Amino acid sequence: MSLLEITDLSIDYLTERGTLRAVDCVSLSVERGESVGIAGESGCGKTTLGLAVPLLLAPNATVATGSITLDGTSLVGLSEKAMDPMRWTKVAFVFQGAMNALNPVHRIDHQILEAITTHEPGIDVGAARARVLHLLDAVGIAPARASSYPHEFSGGMRQRAMIAMSLACRPRLLIADEPTTALDVISQAQILSLLNNLRHAEGLSLILISHDLAAIKRVCDRVVVMYAGIIVESGSTASIFGTSGAAPSAAHPYTQALISAHPNLHGTRVLAEGLSGHPPDLSQTMIGCRFADRCPMVMEVCHKVAPTLVTIAPGHVAACHLVSGEAS
Amino acid sequence: MTGSPNVLEVRDLVVHFPGRHGVVVKAVDGVSFDIAHGEILALVGESGCGKSTIALSVMRLLVPNSGTIISGGEDLTNLRGRALRRARRRMQMIFQDPFGSLDARQTVYESVVEPLKIHGVGDSANERRTMVLEALDFAHLRPPQRLAGVYPHELSGGQRQRVAIASAIVLGPELIVADEPVSMLDVSARAGILRLMVDLRDRLGVSYLFITHDLAVAWVVADRIAVVYLGRIVEFGTSEDLVAAPAHPYTKALLSVSGGDDQVGNIDPVTGQVMDVLPGETPSAANVPTGCHFHPRCPRYAELGQPEICRAADPVLLIMNKRGSTTRIHEVACHFPEEPQ
Repeated sequence: MSLLEITDLSIDYLTERGTLRAVDCVSLSVERGESVGIAGESGCGKTTLGLAVPLLLAPNATVATGSITLDGTSLVGLSEKAMDPMRWTKVAFVFQGAMNALNPVHRIDHQILEAITTHEPGIDVGAARARVLHLLDAVGIAPARASSYPHEFSGGMRQRAMIAMSLACRPRLLIADEPTTALDVISQAQILSLLNNLRHAEGLSLILISHDLAAIKRVCDRVVVMYAGIIVESGSTASIFGTSGAAPSAAHPYTQALISAHPNLHGTRVLAEGLSGHPPDLSQTMIGCRFADRCPMVMEVCHKVAPTLVTIAPGHVAACHLVSGEAS
Repeated sequence: MTGSPNVLEVRDLVVHFPGRHGVVVKAVDGVSFDIAHGEILALVGESGCGKSTIALSVMRLLVPNSGTIISGGEDLTNLRGRALRRARRRMQMIFQDPFGSLDARQTVYESVVEPLKIHGVGDSANERRTMVLEALDFAHLRPPQRLAGVYPHELSGGQRQRVAIASAIVLGPELIVADEPVSMLDVSARAGILRLMVDLRDRLGVSYLFITHDLAVAWVVADRIAVVYLGRIVEFGTSEDLVAAPAHPYTKALLSVSGGDDQVGNIDPVTGQVMDVLPGETPSAANVPTGCHFHPRCPRYAELGQPEICRAADPVLLIMNKRGSTTRIHEVACHFPEEPQ
């Protein structure tokens, strides 16, 4: 059984402009020890999907359809009281800009200790302290720096401290939302290596939410690409990006555009075309393919019929008329 | 105008800030570079390396401790008041955050017309309107007549950055200082903004000082790249040379994390874990190491058995051209640079 099983999940936001479906009938599973990347532009629903797992959705969001099962427990409709013990222990969430969420007036080790003693009230303080040092060591923070204040750390170190804190109660699943976006390249690379190491050393499952496909490529076994609330392509990292040397085999024009958006130092020295336009308004009824208006390879059928996910290789699915052959 | 080939000449720029407990923060510590007409020069480095301080000094938004900044044959270093304002017409700046840099209560038109009013450009409201619409069209905010009337909240991040660019070009500047102009934008919007910047160079002949932490982006956009580490330029060359044959160990490290490689860092043979790309944190400009600023993190220093010269002597930028090449200058500040190929 998968650690996390999401089936036909839809999430609505109630807004001034009416009901807006941010996540539309998404299915996704994460195995034990597996890392899955969720990619897409701002507003594609990737953060909403991530927040739905630990039931941290905004008050105006509701789960309209579908189910979420974590380690055998069905989560949708679970009360706060029932969900609370599972946060930190089963699933932990690292927010975007989490490094700014550290309390500036408490020392780093104290803050992590507090996380442990709050969630494991009976724990021996000596054992908890030892775990704090172990966690900080795992993220590359030396014991000598453990009792620093957050302002004494660089952005990269604060982000590592937050990751250490998220692991305080040994969760089985870590969901990290854009954990490296605010950092510069060297710190980004360090955090990504760290997540990779933790995954292998602690047997952690990981969901990495990012608009940066290069980050996902480095860390994840599998990639899920979202666009306007739906999954448009998903497959193993090797099959989406191509194995080293081979051309990427991403099938959806949106995935292809995301991959080529960042210049490749091993490729040719040209600027990518980029995508013009914006994702569609989610409060409107959508007919046909949601990407049609921005798609460089749009066909007549795309404006009329919504493509469904079809298997194009083992474990690799895409929702595009180009691959499902509806054009003919 | 002196007919100089350069829009900007920066010589021996030093910017020190007073830190706490009497410590001096050496944010910029002796930086020199030129930007030719129509050239795009990228400054690349990590947070805290001083690249933004260099940008602010060039704009004369802060006063350097020493060094000179010459633009259009005029020494800007000590200009004040009206003379400084006049000089600033030739140089405009684009900032990282397109959400913070526009006034939420001003329409696009009001934002873009403001620099014209401040500098007293345009004889009538009609003339200014024509200039604003032209700038919006140049920035691909089309149709300009419609977009002129909208407010920032109606625009995407990419469109807001186009408004910032329109405000920058409306005065017809010779130089645009762009500080991380795409790093807060969605990946899909970045390419469009970078293309626009290059397009404006090609059409209007504007030069850029382009600040970025992303070497891959600098490589495709800029003509030349200066790699900055702790207030110093450590390597300087054409974009092709610098990426094809990096000479400084720091440039090599930056390349290894910007390359889109599957594997970052080295695998520890004992534990199988991925080791840090560069050990340690970026040292602070308040506590600059002796000798070569990079030596405590330098893989080459470790590899060569910690030679004393790296701790003792400060390497200067030296020309190290490829064999047979005489025109394109490639400089590196390292005691043990990679040999030119």
